[in-house]
Parts: sequence; structure tokens; C-alpha cells
Amino acid sequence: MHIHNYEKIWLVLAMIMIVGFLTTVTYGATAVGIEMISDEEDTIDPGALDEDPRFAEPRVEQVGENEYEAYVVAQQYIFSPDPIEVPANSTVTFYVTSPDVIHGFQVAGTNANTMVIPGEVAKLTVETEEPGEHGIVCNEYCGSGHHVMEGKLIIHPEDEFEMEDDE
Amino acid sequence: MSGDAVVTEIDHDEFNPRGTLALILVYFAILVVMWVFMYFVEFLGNDLTVIG
Amino acid sequence: MSSAIESGEPTFLDRFPQEAKVVRSALWSSFIALTLGALFGIIQTLHRTDVLRVFSSGNYYTILTAHGVLMVVSFTIFFLVGIYTWAVVRSLDRPVEDIRYTWTWYGLMVLGTLMALVAILGGFIDSIDISADVLFTFYAPLQAHPLFYGGLAIFLIGTWLAGADWFRSWYAWKQENPGERIPLQTFMVLITMLMWYIASIGITIAVVIFLLPWSLGIIDQVNPLLTRTLFWFWGHPVVYFWLMPAYLLWYTVLPKVSGGRLFSDPLARVVFVLFLLLSTPVGIHHQYLDPGIADGFKFIALTNTMFLLLPSLLTAFTVVASMEHGARQRGGTGLLGWLRALPWANPAFTGMALAGLMFAAGGFSGMINAGLNINYLVHNTLWVPGHFHLTVGTAVALTFMAATYWLWPQLTNKPIFSRPIALAQVILWFVGMALMSNAMHVAGLIGIPRRTAEPQYDGFDFIPTFGSIAELDLQLVVGGTLLTLSAILFVSNLVLSISLPKVSGLGQPLPPALSGPDDAPKVLDNLKLWTAIALVLVILAYTLPLASIVDRGGLFGPGGTPYPTMIEFGSTLLEIYTPLTTDWISGWLQ
Repeated sequence: MHIHNYEKIWLVLAMIMIVGFLTTVTYGATAVGIEMISDEEDTIDPGALDEDPRFAEPRVEQVGENEYEAYVVAQQYIFSPDPIEVPANSTVTFYVTSPDVIHGFQVAGTNANTMVIPGEVAKLTVETEEPGEHGIVCNEYCGSGHHVMEGKLIIHPEDEFEMEDDE
Repeated sequence: MSGDAVVTEIDHDEFNPRGTLALILVYFAILVVMWVFMYFVEFLGNDLTVIG
Repeated sequence: MSSAIESGEPTFLDRFPQEAKVVRSALWSSFIALTLGALFGIIQTLHRTDVLRVFSSGNYYTILTAHGVLMVVSFTIFFLVGIYTWAVVRSLDRPVEDIRYTWTWYGLMVLGTLMALVAILGGFIDSIDISADVLFTFYAPLQAHPLFYGGLAIFLIGTWLAGADWFRSWYAWKQENPGERIPLQTFMVLITMLMWYIASIGITIAVVIFLLPWSLGIIDQVNPLLTRTLFWFWGHPVVYFWLMPAYLLWYTVLPKVSGGRLFSDPLARVVFVLFLLLSTPVGIHHQYLDPGIADGFKFIALTNTMFLLLPSLLTAFTVVASMEHGARQRGGTGLLGWLRALPWANPAFTGMALAGLMFAAGGFSGMINAGLNINYLVHNTLWVPGHFHLTVGTAVALTFMAATYWLWPQLTNKPIFSRPIALAQVILWFVGMALMSNAMHVAGLIGIPRRTAEPQYDGFDFIPTFGSIAELDLQLVVGGTLLTLSAILFVSNLVLSISLPKVSGLGQPLPPALSGPDDAPKVLDNLKLWTAIALVLVILAYTLPLASIVDRGGLFGPGGTPYPTMIEFGSTLLEIYTPLTTDWISGWLQ
């Protein structure tokens, strides 16, 4: 089997490119610290979310000095809580689940993006930066009202943010 | 239809696909530049850095 | 290879009239699906952009399901079985073993398609309780009418029997030609089907064990992550099921219409073997953002996927080199000047060349999709349909249409009605898709989701980095309109060809490769070896993730809520079969 020299050159370049892509992704995963949605959360009974300490009352909780957790339920065709309110320059972990069908959860135009699967809890941690408002969209078809399923993430300036519990 | 305009027969050993190599090197360069742009500018520069 | 000899060649129809009829029927089925699919496509384009909303937004999803299923199951796979029957019969130079068997699998595929279509179109009629608004991916707990899953199963059985037909031909040929290399086209067909059989394991389990019994009310719930994972076990290799017939055409027909010969037969075989090995153990790359699957498994899918780029990158070289060979034989000179010597007036050539060019672009957006963490940026945004309208929607679809212009006269003994219209058609497709797909990629990057009837939200607006939403919508509408026009021109051109008188001398023999099969190591033709390695890779890639999903969520749930809620006409069956099936399944698993 003779392979033309030019084709060998291309084969080598293609391999270098593939390894380059893998290296970039690994750099993102390690040096930048971007973790993938994974399987660390236990499964949950989608029929009994109202008995679950996290999802019975969807909400944002402060869990550390600058750390917040948002327990979010995505269901046909709303997100709760809505809006989700957090301070700027904080670390926010979203826990998102569904009682009915598969949904998507994406803070529109950002990297905060996950599938929401009944029975599973998606865990996604982000760092907020500037104050501002973002839309949240369900980006997986979930039924005939899918297109009205939206929510809002409000990132408040740090000095103006107060947890509702404190009021 | 189209194979009928052959003016010279060229066999494997006398054929060096120089043009193909040139085109594919251009493609390679585009892929690398676009990948770097997409990964480091569009993705890592986007809002809400995902860390877990 | 002078033209005088060529024009005297008998056509495929002259040599194999019965097989030509099967091929024509399969292609007509394919083109009817294309026509309907295009109609549903333009309705969606106008609806999403809010230019014209003929149907309610609820019905949009019925239309989207029909568009997806008709285009990527019916159009592509009917074309595949047609072209593969042609390729096997032509390259082995023998009729099928039993034409009644051939018609049987074709009939099953038609039956399955009609069943699924009835279920899908039932979604338009509220008064009847039949619907399948589940899109091409039918993720549970979205539930379709049993006709949908049943139709899919019968369609798949039809494709499996088609594969058996081709294996049977090859086996008979081998008895008469011991020790000979498998002809290239037959080799490609057999490798594709081996991949297809392996891939089908996933969807068969999903449909037969879970979704069909669930839609019949025999089981109450399914594990949505499990059925979704089994879907993608099949759902990624199906991408290659669309592409491999296009590759077959690029490797064996495009060099011919370029005026040259295939650069390397051995490399073509290597490429197909790589597809067999790597197409299936990558499906989890569609699930990078799924909770419940460990990130380690996702990294394995990433690595396999990146190496799956290799056969496509190799193809780019070999195919372009074959075109260059043609151009230089036609008198082309210079480093790039030979491009002008290519037969751009020939719609078969131009269509396939433009399809290849779009594949180069689609390959790039696919690399982004495949890139694990960068998937956060684009997952389920309009970027993704932007990507696959370049790959299956152009690389595959435009190649199929262009190849039809070359093959159709040989199946009918009639020329194509109008070559200028054919040329305009392929260019329109290219331009229309360039506009539409560009807008989709850009829209995806600013977060506009796919699969929605109304990407206009009450509480916020999408902010483009440059241009405006109105400009993107305009590109979508103009692109979609050109594509629809192109599809109409394609089908009309074929329909009008029917009225032309028969002529002789339309035969087009395919020249041998520059580096022929004798240069390829014999081991490449060892189908058993490659199948075994492919199976091992699938087992390695899927055993642990599937076991983990079942362990976490149970075989049948936690299930979520079936949607829409249908009358449980299987409820009487329920009492009888539930103990039976669950016993059987749990027994089978232990």
C-alpha cells in the first residue's frame, strides 16, 4: 500500500490538529477549571419534588460568605423561582431538576447551560461578574408550550443584594 | 457527460497533487485559527464562567 | 476511455431492468419525502422568524417532527437503499439473488414510514387521539402513539433485510470469485451495514423493550436518561449512515465526473473501516451536558470523537486529489489554475463539489460541538441545526441530488429534462444553505435556542454582537426560500424527465482507481476482524455508562410524567402482560 508523500504530510497534520484540540479542551478542564455536568448528585423521585428539602420550595440560599445555591425546578412551562436573584462577583451553584419531561436550562447567551432530566439533578456552578439581567430559556423541546418557557436571572450589585430571609 | 474531455492520461506515479496539498494547507490554517478564536474568545470570553 | 466507446455502453437499466426498478422506486420514495420535508421546512422558517404563521405554535412541533423524520430518516435512508442496491449490483456485476426478497424489504420500509407518518400527521387533528409530537429524537417522557414506534421498528427491520440482501449477493459472488478483492463499492456497502447493525442494538432496545410497551400502557414508566442514551447509541452512527452513501459517491462517482480517477482505493477502504470502528462509541458526545453521566465517560466520548475526524480529513484529501487528477487530465495547469479546468457546467460535478465545500465548513462547526467543555457555549442553540444543515442538509443532500443527475439517465434511459435548471438548482441549494446556516450559527452564539416555535421572549431580548436580529431573520427567510425553490426545481426536473423519449447510449462506466485494490493490504477486507474490534470498542465505551445509568435510576424509572397524556388503550393488556414482561426482562438481565 503506497501512500503519496503529500497524503502522509496531511495525515501527520491531521493528527497534530486532533491532539491540539484535545489539548485545548484539557487545558480548559484543568487550568481554567471548567468542569462538566456530571453524576455527583443522587437521583431524585420526580413525582415527589414537593417533599424534597431542596425543591419543595425552589429558592436561592446563601451557603457561604460569597457562595449561593439556587434550587431550580424546570417544569412545563415555567422555571421556579423566577426571577433567580444573586449578587455580582459571587459563586452560584444551580441545582436543576424536572418533575415532568426533559427540559433545558440556559442563561441565554452565556455558558451556563445544562440539560434537565426528570429523576436527575443537574449541578452547575458559575461565577457571576457584572450586575445585570439575563433571560433564561428552556432549550430542549418540552411540549406544545415550550416556546413560552422562560425565566430571568438578575445579578444585583453586591452592596444592593439582600436575601429575602433577612428582610 | 464529462469524462469525455480528457486531453492527457496521467497515472498514479506521475501525479503529484500539488494543488490539493495547497488547498488542504489553507483549510488546515483556517481550522486552527477558527478553533483558537472560538475556544479562547467566544467560549472562554463569554459571560458566566462555569467552574463546576 | 474515449467518448465513442462510452456512449456505446449499455446502461444499468439495460443490464439489470428489475434492479433498476427497485432503485427507481427507492429514489422516488426518497424524493417524495424530500418534497414534503421541504414544505415543512419553509413553514418552520416563516413561523420562527414571525413572517407568516399559518399554524398555531403548538402545531409547529408537529411540523418540526415531520420535517426531521422525513428528511433524516425517509429522504436519506430511502436514497441509501436505492444507491446501495445500484452499487452492489453494479460492482459485483450480478443481479440480486431474489428480486421478491428485495421488494419485500422495500415494502417494509414504505409500510414503516407510512405508519410513523400517520402518527405524526395525526398531531394536526385534535379530534383524534393520535400524535407523535416528539421530534426526531423522541426523548421520553415525551410520548408518541404506538404507531410511531411500531413504524420506526418496521422501517428498521426493512433496512436490516436490505443489508442481508447485499451480503447475500456478496456471498454468492465470493463463491464464484474465490480470492478476489471485494469490489470497492460493495466493500463500502458491507462496511456501512455492519456499522448499522451494531448501531441498531441501541435503538432496538430503546424502542422494543421500553418505548413501545410504554406507549401501549404495558409498562408505566421508563428511565428517561436510559432511553435517551440508547437513542444516541444509534443516533450518532446514523449520522454516518447518512454520510457513507455520500462518501461512496465522492469516492467512486465524483472522480469520474471530474474527468479523472480515484486517487487511492486502499485509503478509501481504510476510511470506511475507521467509520465502522469509531462511529458508535461516540454517542455520548450528544450528552455532554446531561446530568447522571460521569464526566470521565464524556471525556472518553470526546477522545473517540476527535479521532473520528481522521477518516473525514483523509477523505478531503483523497477526493480533492481525485478532482485535481481529473482537472489535470483535462488540461488544467498551475498550482490552483486547474480548478478552472473542472467541469463546472455539469450539475452532477458542481453539486458534489459544492457539497464537499460545505462539508469542510460543517466539519468545523462539528469540531466545536464535539469539544466537550466548549459545548456549554453552543449546546441546544440554533448553532446545532446550523451545523447539521451543512452536513446532512448539504454535504449529504446536495451530493444525493447531484449524483441523481448522473445516475438517473442510467436508470431510465432518458436524459434529465433540463441541465441548465439542474445546474441552477444545485447552486441555489448552496447559496440558500450558506445564508440560512450562517444565520443559524451566528444566532446560536448569542443564545437563540433551537427547536422552538417562537424564539422571541417576553422578558428579554437577544443581543447580537454585530448586525441585528432582523438581519439574521432575513438571512433565514431568504435562505429557506431559496432552498425550497431548489427542492421544487429538483423534483420537477425529474418529473418532467418522465415525458422524454427513451434513448440509448447513456451508460457511464466507472474507471478504476489510480492506486487499485491490489495495493491494499488483504487484512482490510477481513470483515469479521473489523466487526469484532468495533464491538469491543462499543462494549468498552458503553458498558459502564449504561450500567451506571441503570444502577442510578433503575431500569424503568424514575420516570417523569408521560406527555401528552393519551387514552390508555393498552390498559386492558396491562393486567395481562405487566407481570409477564417485567419477569421476563428482569430474568433476562440476570
